[in-house]
Amino acid sequence: MEVSVIGSSQVKAVRTDFAYRVLGFCSSRRNDVSFSRKSRIGIDRNIIRLRRSATGFTLKAVLSEQDRATPPAPALSRSHPKNGVSLYVGLPLDAVSEASTINHAKAISAGLKALKLLGVEGVELPVWWGVAEKEANGSYNFSGYLDLVKMVKKAGLKLHISLCFHASKQPKISLPEWVTQIGENDPNLYFRDRSGLLYKDCLSLAVDELPVLGGKTPMAVYKDFCENFKSSFSEFISSTITGISISLGPNGELRYPFDQGRSRKSKLPGVGEFQCYDKNMLGLLKLHAEASGNPLWGLGGPHDAPRYDQMPDSNSFFKDHGGSWETPYGDFFLKWYSQELVSHGSRLLSLASSVFGDTGVSIFGKVPLVHSWYKSRAHPSELTAGFYNTVNRDGYDSIAEVFAKNSCKVILPGMDLLDDDFPNITLSSPQSLLSQVRAACSKHGVDVSGQNSSAAVFPEGGFEQMKKNLSGPDGCCSGMLIYERMGAYFFSPEHFPSFTAFMRSISQPETDMDDLPQEQEVGANEPFLPTVSESGAHLQAA
Amino acid sequence: MSTVITEPLLHHDLRGIRRSRLKSSIFRPASMSFSRQFRCHGRIFYSFKPPRKPFIVRASSFGSAAIVETFDFTDVFFRETFPLRWTETVEGRIFVRLDKEKNDQNWQLTVGCGLPGKWILHWGVSYIDDVGSEWDQPPADMRPPGSVPIKDYAIETPLEKAPCTTEGDGLYEVKISVKPDSTIAAINFVLKDEETGAWYQHKGRDFKVALVDRPHDDNNIIGGQKGFGIWPGALGQLSNILLKGEASHSKEEGTDGASSNKKQEDSCLGGFYEELPLVKQIPVHNSVCVSVRKCPTTAKNILYLETDLPGDVIVHWGVCRDDAKNWEIPVAPHPPGTTIFKRKALRTLLKQKEGAKGCSGLFTLDKDILGFLFVLRIKENTWLNSMGNDFFVPLSNSSNLVQSIKDQSETTHISEKTDGENEEVSDSVYTDGIINEIRNLVSDISSEKNRNTKTKEAQESILQEIEKLAAEAYSIFRSSMQTFLEEAVSESKAVDSPSKVSSGTGSGYEILCQGFNWESNKSGRWYKELKEKAEEVSSLGFSIIWLPPPTESVSPEGYMPKDLYNLNSRYGTIEELKDLVKKFHEVNVKVLGDVVLNHRCAQYKNQNGVWNIFGGRLNWDDRAIVADDPHFQGRGNKSSGDNFHAAPNIDHSQDFVRKDLKEWLCWLRKEIGYDGWRLDFVRGFWGGYVKDYLEASEPYFAVGEFWDSLSYSYSVMDHNQDAHRQRIIDWINATNGTAGAFDVTTKGILHSAIERCEYWRLSDEKGKPPGVVGWWPSRAVTFIENHDTGSTQGHWRFPGGKEMQGYAYILTHPGTPAVFYDHVFSHYQSEIASLISLRNRNKIHCRSTVKITKAEKDVYAAIMDDKVAMKIGPGYYEPQSGSQRWSLALEGSNYKVWEAT
Repeated sequence: MEVSVIGSSQVKAVRTDFAYRVLGFCSSRRNDVSFSRKSRIGIDRNIIRLRRSATGFTLKAVLSEQDRATPPAPALSRSHPKNGVSLYVGLPLDAVSEASTINHAKAISAGLKALKLLGVEGVELPVWWGVAEKEANGSYNFSGYLDLVKMVKKAGLKLHISLCFHASKQPKISLPEWVTQIGENDPNLYFRDRSGLLYKDCLSLAVDELPVLGGKTPMAVYKDFCENFKSSFSEFISSTITGISISLGPNGELRYPFDQGRSRKSKLPGVGEFQCYDKNMLGLLKLHAEASGNPLWGLGGPHDAPRYDQMPDSNSFFKDHGGSWETPYGDFFLKWYSQELVSHGSRLLSLASSVFGDTGVSIFGKVPLVHSWYKSRAHPSELTAGFYNTVNRDGYDSIAEVFAKNSCKVILPGMDLLDDDFPNITLSSPQSLLSQVRAACSKHGVDVSGQNSSAAVFPEGGFEQMKKNLSGPDGCCSGMLIYERMGAYFFSPEHFPSFTAFMRSISQPETDMDDLPQEQEVGANEPFLPTVSESGAHLQAA
Repeated sequence: MSTVITEPLLHHDLRGIRRSRLKSSIFRPASMSFSRQFRCHGRIFYSFKPPRKPFIVRASSFGSAAIVETFDFTDVFFRETFPLRWTETVEGRIFVRLDKEKNDQNWQLTVGCGLPGKWILHWGVSYIDDVGSEWDQPPADMRPPGSVPIKDYAIETPLEKAPCTTEGDGLYEVKISVKPDSTIAAINFVLKDEETGAWYQHKGRDFKVALVDRPHDDNNIIGGQKGFGIWPGALGQLSNILLKGEASHSKEEGTDGASSNKKQEDSCLGGFYEELPLVKQIPVHNSVCVSVRKCPTTAKNILYLETDLPGDVIVHWGVCRDDAKNWEIPVAPHPPGTTIFKRKALRTLLKQKEGAKGCSGLFTLDKDILGFLFVLRIKENTWLNSMGNDFFVPLSNSSNLVQSIKDQSETTHISEKTDGENEEVSDSVYTDGIINEIRNLVSDISSEKNRNTKTKEAQESILQEIEKLAAEAYSIFRSSMQTFLEEAVSESKAVDSPSKVSSGTGSGYEILCQGFNWESNKSGRWYKELKEKAEEVSSLGFSIIWLPPPTESVSPEGYMPKDLYNLNSRYGTIEELKDLVKKFHEVNVKVLGDVVLNHRCAQYKNQNGVWNIFGGRLNWDDRAIVADDPHFQGRGNKSSGDNFHAAPNIDHSQDFVRKDLKEWLCWLRKEIGYDGWRLDFVRGFWGGYVKDYLEASEPYFAVGEFWDSLSYSYSVMDHNQDAHRQRIIDWINATNGTAGAFDVTTKGILHSAIERCEYWRLSDEKGKPPGVVGWWPSRAVTFIENHDTGSTQGHWRFPGGKEMQGYAYILTHPGTPAVFYDHVFSHYQSEIASLISLRNRNKIHCRSTVKITKAEKDVYAAIMDDKVAMKIGPGYYEPQSGSQRWSLALEGSNYKVWEAT
C-alpha cells in the first residue's frame, strides 16, 4: 500500500525517518516501557492515516510548525491503490455440521452482516467430502451448504468454495464414513511413514487412479463429487460463487503430510519425514527405480533421513555439505517423490478445470509455504513435503507450470508471516519463499491469491505484513485474500478491532473517509483540537 | 528543561472514550499518540505564538446588567444547563531537606509539600549490611507519631501541616530523625496523595536519601541531583499530576556547603535542600446555561449564555442553517468584542458578572438560523465542549424541533497544555518534506470536506452496527465453544450426572497443582521463578495451576489484601504476573487466581481511630464491613458466615460491594488472564454470593476453601464424618454447584487411616468413599496438603513419609485432585508424575465410579471405572481377574496401582 500511495521512494524514506523521529521523541520523554509500545502503535496508525486520508496532517503540522519556511517537497499523491484487494473471510470449518445443519447460524448471520458492512467482498466456505458424501458413495447431501450459500447470497456477499477431500482434526471432521470403513481393511489407502504411522486425514496420492473405493478410483469419486456439486449449486455458480478451490492433499494443500508425526510440544520444527511407505507408493518407487536401471534404489525411502522432530544435520541425508540429497541417489529419489506430487496436483487441477472450466468461476489450488529450513542448502522440510527445491534447483517451477497448464490460480497461505517471527535457528524464511513461489508463478502467468497462516492467534505485525504483501511491487496479481477464519477469536475484542482497521486500510477510499477522527470534520470550524487551530491562527498571523 | 505530564494507565483522553468501544479501540491509540505528541511538543507552539492575542478583545459595552434584565424568561423556548467538567491546575512544590537538628547530633530528614492534600510518606530504610534494594522497616524510635507499618517493610506517615510556615497556608511536612550512629544506609520513600491516589516517585523509582557514604550507581539518589519523576498510582487512578521536573532550585545547606556528590566523595554526610515544583490537577465542575427567546420586535432570536466558570471565558461560536451542523459565520453585526477566527468561527469574550462569580453574554441571531454552535475556552488553552461534540442550541421556532443534546451533554475537558521552556528540536530536512506534503494535502482535502461531513454520521452508525453484530457473533461463538467441549466430555462418559464444562468442575479431567508454598513470597520474585517451571508443570500432566494471592497485602503471603487493584505483591509485579499467566497458557495450563473475598485490610482510620476505611480504587467506607465484629465498627449488615478476626470482614450483602467485587474479578480475568479462582476462606460468607461472583466472572474452574476451624481432634476420630462433609456440601449447594470445594474431610480421614493403620475408615457405612468425594465427587477437590496445613506452617500436616499413599488415593479416585507444590518438586516427583500420567491415560475424571473392594485394618483397595485398581496400606491385595485382566502399573511404599489390559 505504501508504495502505491507514495509517488517516489524518496518520500518513502522520508516517512520512515519521520516515524522514527517521532518515536524517539516520545520515548525520550518517558521511561515507561508500556507507554512507548503504545505510542509506537499509535504512530503506525498515524502514518497510515497520513498517507490515506485527511486526518493526520493538521496534527502533524502541529508537530513541526517550526519548519514551515523550508522549500516545498514533492506533494503526496492522493491516488489510492487500485481499488484495494477483495477480501474473503473464511467461515467456520464446521459451519455445516455432519448432520447437514448450520452450526451457530445466528452468529454466522450476524457475522456476515458485519463483514458486509465492513466492505468485505465475500466469504470462503469449506465443503467437506465427509459431510456432503458422508453416508455412501454417490449419496450426496448438500442441503446444509445450500442453506448457507443462500444466507451468504442474501447478505450480499460473494462466495469462495473450498472443496475439501481431506479431513480436519480440530474441529473434528472426518473423511466419509464409507471411506474410513474401507480404510479399516485397507490401510494402504493412506500415506504411511517409515515407522508405519498412517495419515488418515486424506487419501494417499498413490491411490488416485486405483479402484480402491468399492471398485472406483478416488479420482472418479472426486469427479462425481465435483459434478454433483456443480449441478446442485448451478444457480449460484459464477454469480454468488466466484471461485472454487480444490483440495490437493493434507489440509487441502499440495504436499505430503510430512509433519504428521511432529510432536506438538517441540518448539523447533524438525525436518519432517518422507511419506512414501504405503504399499502403492513403494510399488511406484520400485517401478521407477527399475526403469532407471537402479532397482536397488527402489526398495524404500532414504535410510539416513532424520526423524520428524530432528534437526537437518542429525542424520546424513540433509546435511548441508556432503548430504545424501546431493548424491545421484538423492536426486533420483527426490525427483521421483516430488514428481509424484506434481502429477497428483496436475490430475486434480485438470479434473477441476474440466468440471468447472465452463462456468466462469476461477479455479484455485493451495500451495503451502513450507518455510522452515529454507535458508539451509537442502531445504529439508520442503523436500519431505514434496517440493524438490534446494539451493541447486527451483522446485516451484514445475508446480507453477501445472497450474498454468490447467488455467488455475494459486492460493498461498502465509501472507502474514515475517522472517522475524521465527527463531533464527530454524533457518525459516517465509518471506523469501513467498517471493520465490510468486516469481515462479508470474513466470508462468499464474495468478496468486493470498491467505493468512491461520495461526491460532494472529501474529503481531501480521496485518502490516499482509498489507505489504498485497500491494508491494510484486503484490497479489489477482487481488484476492482469504482470511481465516470466522469464529470466537475472530470477533473477540482482542482481534476484531485490528481486523477492522486492516480491512479499512486496504479497502476503497470511500470507507477511508470515516477513518477520519470525528473531530476532524469540525476541526476546521471549531477548535476541537484547540492547539491545532491555535497554531494555525498563529501561522496565519505570522 | 521539560514539562512532564503524567498520563496514568487509564488514559483519560475523552475523545477516545466518548466513542463506541469498537471505534475507540481502533482509533484510540492514534489519538493517544496525537495528544502525546502535541503535549510533548507543547512548547513548540509557544515559540510561534504571536506576542499578542488577537482574538481577545475586551467588551466594554456588551452584555451589561441592563440588557440582562430585559431578557424576559417567559418567552424562553429553549433553556438548557450543560455541565462542564474540566481540570484545574494547581501549582506547588515538593521539598526534601536533610539537615542537623538544632541542638542535637541527629540528622533530620524533612519532606514537605506545598499543596493542600492528604499527603502520605510511604517509606522504609536500607540497612548498611543489606544487599539489594529491599526496604526494611525503620527502628521504632525513628518512626514519627502517627506512623503506620505497611506489611513488614514499610511505614506510612502522614504529612502534618507545618506549625509555623512561610509558605502561606499550604505547607505539609514530615520530619524523620536519624541517629548519627545508626546502621541505616539510606531512607527510601515515595510520596502519595491520598485524595487522588497518585504516587510520586523519583525518576520512576523510589526516592533515596543516602545517609552513609557508599559506592552506589543509583541515579535516583536525590540531593545534588535534580529532577523528579512521578509514578502514577499503580492502578492508574485518573489523577493527572504534572511535575515540573528539572526546573528545581537547589540550595545547599548544612555544614559543608559543597555539592552532595562532593560530599559523598568526602565520606561525610552533608545536608541538602531540594525543591521541585509540581502541578496537580484537580477536577472542577461548572456549568453553562443557555436560554433562547424570541425578540418580539425584530423577529430575531436572542440567546443568553451564562456560566459560573472563573476568569475570562471566550465563546468560540458559529451558526448553522441546516441539520448537518456546518459552521457558518452569521452576518454582522456581531456582539461587541467579537473577532473572526479564520473565517470559520467567531470568538466572543463573555462579560464578567458584577458582584458574582462567572460571566455571561447575549447573542442576537437571525430567524433563519437553525442552530447555534459553540465551545468555550477558559485560560490559555483549555477548551470545553460537550462530550467531544460542539454544544448545539437549536433555534428552530417550532417547539417540537426543540431538541437538546442533553443526553450527551456531559462535558469533557478536552486538553490542556502547560507552558514549558523551549527545547531544542532537531531540525531535520525530512521533517520539512513532511510538512509540505501535509500542506498540500490539507488543501486537497478541504474540497472533499462537505461530502465528507455528510457521510460522517452514516459512517458512524455503520461502525456501531458492525460493532453490535461482531459482539453478537462473538458471544454465540464463544458459548458454542463450550458446547463443543461439553459434547467432547459427555461423549467419553457420563456417569452420575451429565458432564458439562462448568466452573465447578472444569472439563472434569482437571488435575490441579498448587503453585506455591508459605515461603514463596520470600524471594520477591516468585512469578519469575515459577515461570521457569511452567513447562515442567505442564509436562507432568497438570491442567491447572493455582497461583498465590496477587494483591497488595498487609501480610507478605498475600492473604491480608488491601488495595485489590494493586497487583504488585511480594510475589512480583503485575507485569511479571501477566507474563507468568501467559507462559502457563502457552503450555496449556489454566491458571487460578487466589482471591480473598472474605476480608480486606483498611487503609485509613475512621474518626474513632479504627481502621475501617478502605483505600485504592475500591475506596469503600465502613458500610462495607460486617456489623458483628466489634473490632472494626462496621456499619454493614451482619455477617452471612463466620468471622475472620484479623481483618475487617467484607459485607457481601451490600450491592456496591458485590458490584465492585464482580468488576474486580472480571478485571482480573481480562487484565491478568486468570481462568478461574481459588476462593479463600469461603466459610466467612454465604455461598450464594459466591454463585453471584462466579456467574459474573465466568471462570473456567473455581474452588472454595471451606475449612472448618479445626473441630477435628487428634484423638480418636469418629468413623462417621458425615456432619463435616455435609457442611462442605451445603456450601457447594449454596453456590449452586458453581464452585468445587477442597475435600477437607477426605484429608482428615486419610490422616487417621494411614497414621493409625485403620484403613477401614476409608469406606463409609454405605461402602462409598467417606469424604466429600463420596457424596459429590464432581465438586470435591481432593488434596493432602496445602500452604496452611503443611509447608513451614504445618497446621495440620499429612503423616510424614506417607504422602504417596495419599496421592495414590486421590490421584486414582474421582474428584479433582490437587497436588501441593512442595510435593511436586520433591523426591516424590516421579511417583506423582506416574500417577498423574496413569490417571490421564485411563481418563479417570471427577465423576469416575469407585468400587471399594477392600476396607480392612491394614489395607484399602478400590477399582475405578473398571479401568484402574489401587490399594494402599501394608496389607495384601490383588485385584480379581474377572472380565478384565489387571497388570501392575505402579508400585511404591505401601501402595500399588493396576491398569486393566
